[in-house]
Amino acid sequence: MGAKKENNDDEMDEKVKKYLRGEAANLEGLKDKKLKGQLAVREDLYGKSAKTAAKIEKWLLPSEGGYLEAEGIEKTWRIKQESIAREIDISSSKNQYDIVLPELGPYTLDFTSNGRYMAAAGRKGHLAIVDMKTLNLIKEIQVKETVRDVVYLHNELFFAVAQKKYPYIYNRDGTELHCLKEHGAVLRLQFLKNHFLLASINKFGQLHYQDVTMGEMVGNFRTGLGRTDVMQVNPFNGVVALGHSSGTVTMWKPTSSVPLVKMLCHPGPVSSLAFHPNGHLMATSGKENKIKIWDLRKFEVIQTMPGHAKTLNFSQKGLLAAGTGSFIKILADFSGSQNYNSYMTHSMAKGYQVGKVLFRPYEDVLGIGHSMGWSSILIPGSGEPNFDSWVANPFETSKQRREKEVHSLLDKLPPETIMLDPTKVGTVRAPQKKEKPTKKEIEAEMEAAIETAKDTDFKKKTKGRNKPSKRAKKRQEMIERAKKPFLEQQIQEHERSRKKQKTNPETEMPKSLQRFVRQKAA
Amino acid sequence: MAVKKRKERAVGGESGNSKKFKKYSNSKGPMKKNKNDKRKKGKGPRLPSALRTELDRLDPKIASDSDDGIDLDVGNDVYEYEEEVPQEESRKNRRFDPVENYEYELPEDFEDENVPSDEDDDDGDFGVGGNKGSLNDDVDASDGDEEEDDERHLRMLQGVTGMSTDAFGGKKKRNSVVISEAHPESEYNPTRDVLEGDSHITLQDLLDPIQGKAGYSKLRKRVQHMDRKSTSVQAPLPKVDREKLERMAVYEHSKKDITKWEHLVKRNREAPTVFFGGDVDLGFSTVGAIASEFEPRTEFEKKIASLVYDDKVMEAHKADGSKLLELNKISEEDYMKHQDHVAKMRGLLFRHEMKQKRIKKIKSKTYHRLKNKDKLKVESAEMLMDPEAAKEQARKQEFKRAEERMTLKHKNKSKWARRILERGLNAQDEGTRAAMAEQLHQHALLTRKINTVKDSSSSSDSSSDDDDEVSNEDRASELLEKAKEKTLKVLEDDEEVPNSGVLSLPFMVRGMKKRKEEAIEEAKLALQEYEQLEGTNDAENSKPATASGRRVFGRANNEVPDSNKKTKTDNKMKMDNYYGNSDSEDDLKAKENVNIEGGKRNDVEKDVGPNYDRKEAADVSIFKNFEDNGDPGSKTTYEVAIFASDSRRKMKSENGIDKNAKKLQQVKEAIVHDKDMEEGEEDSDSESKQMVDGILSSAPKESYELPSQSELIRHAFAGDYVEEEFEKDKQEILNEENPEPDKPVLLPGWGQWTRVQQKKGLPWWMLKEHEDSKRKREESLKKRKDAQLKHVIISEKVDKKAEKLQTKSLPYPFTSKELFEQSMRMPIGSESNPETAIRSLNRPEVVKKPGVIIKPIKFVEMHHHEKSEDNKRSGQKQKKNKSKGASGKNKKQSN
Repeated sequence: MGAKKENNDDEMDEKVKKYLRGEAANLEGLKDKKLKGQLAVREDLYGKSAKTAAKIEKWLLPSEGGYLEAEGIEKTWRIKQESIAREIDISSSKNQYDIVLPELGPYTLDFTSNGRYMAAAGRKGHLAIVDMKTLNLIKEIQVKETVRDVVYLHNELFFAVAQKKYPYIYNRDGTELHCLKEHGAVLRLQFLKNHFLLASINKFGQLHYQDVTMGEMVGNFRTGLGRTDVMQVNPFNGVVALGHSSGTVTMWKPTSSVPLVKMLCHPGPVSSLAFHPNGHLMATSGKENKIKIWDLRKFEVIQTMPGHAKTLNFSQKGLLAAGTGSFIKILADFSGSQNYNSYMTHSMAKGYQVGKVLFRPYEDVLGIGHSMGWSSILIPGSGEPNFDSWVANPFETSKQRREKEVHSLLDKLPPETIMLDPTKVGTVRAPQKKEKPTKKEIEAEMEAAIETAKDTDFKKKTKGRNKPSKRAKKRQEMIERAKKPFLEQQIQEHERSRKKQKTNPETEMPKSLQRFVRQKAA
Repeated sequence: MAVKKRKERAVGGESGNSKKFKKYSNSKGPMKKNKNDKRKKGKGPRLPSALRTELDRLDPKIASDSDDGIDLDVGNDVYEYEEEVPQEESRKNRRFDPVENYEYELPEDFEDENVPSDEDDDDGDFGVGGNKGSLNDDVDASDGDEEEDDERHLRMLQGVTGMSTDAFGGKKKRNSVVISEAHPESEYNPTRDVLEGDSHITLQDLLDPIQGKAGYSKLRKRVQHMDRKSTSVQAPLPKVDREKLERMAVYEHSKKDITKWEHLVKRNREAPTVFFGGDVDLGFSTVGAIASEFEPRTEFEKKIASLVYDDKVMEAHKADGSKLLELNKISEEDYMKHQDHVAKMRGLLFRHEMKQKRIKKIKSKTYHRLKNKDKLKVESAEMLMDPEAAKEQARKQEFKRAEERMTLKHKNKSKWARRILERGLNAQDEGTRAAMAEQLHQHALLTRKINTVKDSSSSSDSSSDDDDEVSNEDRASELLEKAKEKTLKVLEDDEEVPNSGVLSLPFMVRGMKKRKEEAIEEAKLALQEYEQLEGTNDAENSKPATASGRRVFGRANNEVPDSNKKTKTDNKMKMDNYYGNSDSEDDLKAKENVNIEGGKRNDVEKDVGPNYDRKEAADVSIFKNFEDNGDPGSKTTYEVAIFASDSRRKMKSENGIDKNAKKLQQVKEAIVHDKDMEEGEEDSDSESKQMVDGILSSAPKESYELPSQSELIRHAFAGDYVEEEFEKDKQEILNEENPEPDKPVLLPGWGQWTRVQQKKGLPWWMLKEHEDSKRKREESLKKRKDAQLKHVIISEKVDKKAEKLQTKSLPYPFTSKELFEQSMRMPIGSESNPETAIRSLNRPEVVKKPGVIIKPIKFVEMHHHEKSEDNKRSGQKQKKNKSKGASGKNKKQSN
């Protein structure tokens, strides 16, 4: 009994710690009494808040995720879907199915953030929206064009489809709302739901960010690394990662024309990548038959596994699904030691080529898009058992949906909040090295200096020396003096740039050879 | 007593040096000291030799001593007469030998012996001793001792018995010297020794007279009591010290007073939230409520209250009230009527207001000028109609005239005018000259106005008087001149045939022409006559003619009335002419020229009617005015201007039209220009649009180049040199973000004309600079996040847009970055906190209901447990205690 209580307390403490979001401020060395008092009061309130939150969590979120546990020589990866089906209830067994649509080619899938709806897109123009709860087909349209990707926007009402030439936005009824011509022939689409940005990578390796609320093009960058269809958004910080054929993974944000991070992950082309929901882990797979798990805080490899994956996906609970050919492998790390082991396997019927694996949020279900339609299998312990209706509600009514839409629009984050470490927001900026002031700034400064020189009042001098001509002359002199340093600086800069030009290899080369100089990526 | 004492002293100090004696003599009176020393020493007072021998016989010792003091002492009464003389002498001689006085100065009636007070033994003696100098200190001391003993003894007795000194020794001593007093001893008539003494009247002296009297025992006792208890008083501290002490005391006191508030202040300061809103009771909030509380206090108020609340009055009011109300009733019709009336008035007022507003907004100068003229016209009309108004006007004019005469504002007095005159009028341009003339004219107008008024009033008189006063040469000549001018004017008048109206009809025109011709003929005749007259006048008396160029016309003759008659026909006209004509001969010539012209034309007419005439004149004058603008003495007059307003307006309007036309033309041109411009702009616009279009069209069209050959090849052989390429990439990016410093190059011309430099190589500072920049680069490269990561490039580029999401500097109370960031780690929004915590997390520092009066802090005794809590509150325990305390406080505050 006592032990139980202790255990309970420990649990509570853990939860409180979670809600405290880090160490309390150490007030001991603080000399400012007033601040000390204020912070003490604050900390106390935080503590209270965390405690209540922990309690509430205990009361309101009672479900715990379960997972397969092997007994004896049993291995979890040997457990087949059929054996699982035998053990579970009817409602869960509804999630095991195969939809065979052989004509309209390999299917790709997307779930809404609450996992209620699924959009499936066949390569040959077949679009379908399915309510996963009732397994009703809501809408089905045929765009009669190549469809490369489909992605839901902020709710199930809108989805974007990457078609042959341009991406389009449709609503739930299958009405085409927008044609996003600027994106070009898009290969992969991603939606950043906190920022309301639709990110796309097109055939020519151009990355586009478009704000779907105002329709504004937020960013348009040429990656300069060639065509790729490997693109994934980091749900933690909104950074978009691209896998390239050179084996590099680049990470982008909409306010920077150069990648934030460029890392060489594989010697061969990157075939797919996925992010853990907490944003600290990244899984990549290369064509050289390797799957790597990276720690994004240190940019180091944690684990390298043999195997090829055409598609990778992390579940909410951190299971990693890798699909290749007609074979699907689930890796799991239940110990928390960040050592991923094989958890489950699933093989599709022979000849099915898995195109996309995607865990369904808040369900222990893995959706598989393959060349012959789509399938759904059960992966115990993959989904988050408790949902927060403020974040995503699988049982959302239309009214709730409407309210949430407004709320999420009000809470929309500006694109500049996308950064590698979003916890940096609101902190003190690290002292930077002096940036060169821009031309405009220099000009403004000069203007100001001139203005001040103009505005200076002269002393009233004796009669002979107070002539207007003399005063004007003097004023002119003052203005000149104020200008001088700026002009000197300009001259210096000019000189420097000229020198640089001289040293540029392109200019050094004879004209005939200049065209062979390798063009740098912009 | 005193005498005795001194005697003793004298005896004691017999062997003392002469100085001492001198002193005594001095103290006795200035008579001796003013005398010669010899005499003082040797002989003493001037005594008759017989007396002296007598004295010697009586007291040989003293005589041999020949001491003045003793002399005096002994024969106090005897030498009294003798004393008087030297004293007077001394006074007389004083100015001759004042040096002797330096040694010792005391009031004339000073007597140091007779000091019966307590201080005598201490102060008095020492004072005297001090005065005497150090030489005779010992002697004095011995003297003093004796004296002191006596005194002390006396005092002791006094203290023991509580009786005055006189009771013991004083009387005894007094007995020895019998002084007869004229009056009985009393406070009004002090004893002799008191008078002769140091003039200090002691309390004792005052008390003596009431010694034995009944009814004063109380007073006596009190005095005695006081005497006994008397203690010496210390000298007060310096002011600075005293004030310091005072401040200290006050501080201590106030500190104690204030510290009792400390816990309250501390509590409020530490509370995360201070609540105001405990008592919302605002007391009486309505006037009625406040008034009901009113109680009469002063007499007046009471009186009023008694009257107001008098039953009878109340009853009467009640009884009458209904009647009063009835009286108040107004019939509906009346009410409606009143309402209508009010509405109408209001409407009128409003309309008037609007009109005035509109008028006020008009900026046109012409309009205002015309308006002013209208006003003047109205005024003049009024003047004619209303004697009051005329008077008023006259008064105004008089005032103005007086002002002008006083200030001579328009008489070329201003700086500007003087300067111009200094330079000479000829040097000025026409505008200036005109302005000057205008000014002069203004002056003339202002100073002459009164004359005109007088003229008009006495014109008939003057005309009638003219016959009598023929002798008045000036007047006559003036009149003659006037007449001539008038005729000239008429001749000049270039008739303008109106184009429209009745006058434009052909027969009217013909008639007008006829009349004009007649008039001209007549005028010519008249002129001839005038000239003749002038000629005769010239011949007759050339004296006045020589006086000034103007008086060439000479004396007026019989013809004068004639001309007057003519002038009378149009008074105004005459006046006008008169005004217009006050200038030099040039004008006259000009007029004559005009006249000739007019004669040539032969279409000049007169007697069309005064109004018409006026108009003509006005027109002419205006034309003139327009024609010879540069004429210094412009001939336009005020009145003419008024009547000419119409025509002028016309002119103006024509001008205006012209101008307008010009303007229109200009505008057209401008429009054309504008159009051109616009066209140009349009062109440019269209161009730009095209350009924009081009951009727009080009943007989507943006060349999607086909992957180049190299890229295709790379695709094909991907994975071959991946790492090398990545390395290269990284190096490139590093170079871009931290550029490599330029290699030092030999400056051209540097050391080239001696070979030494070449051998030496680059100058050291160049090398050093290069080294420095290189090292800097290395350091910055090392500092990079990806310095240790071979396979990663982390961009160090600063995102300008994201800069605003971080603070540049630590916000105020924080001193360390860690602390700030830790304090900011928790979100305080409703999304991330339970409902119970949000309120307290987001509560403002001060919670106050609107309208609540914040009362000053009230003193509340601190409870014991709180005190202990306060003491405990320190260090790590702070948090919990504080929270408890704070919550407790909050509760309390809210209570």
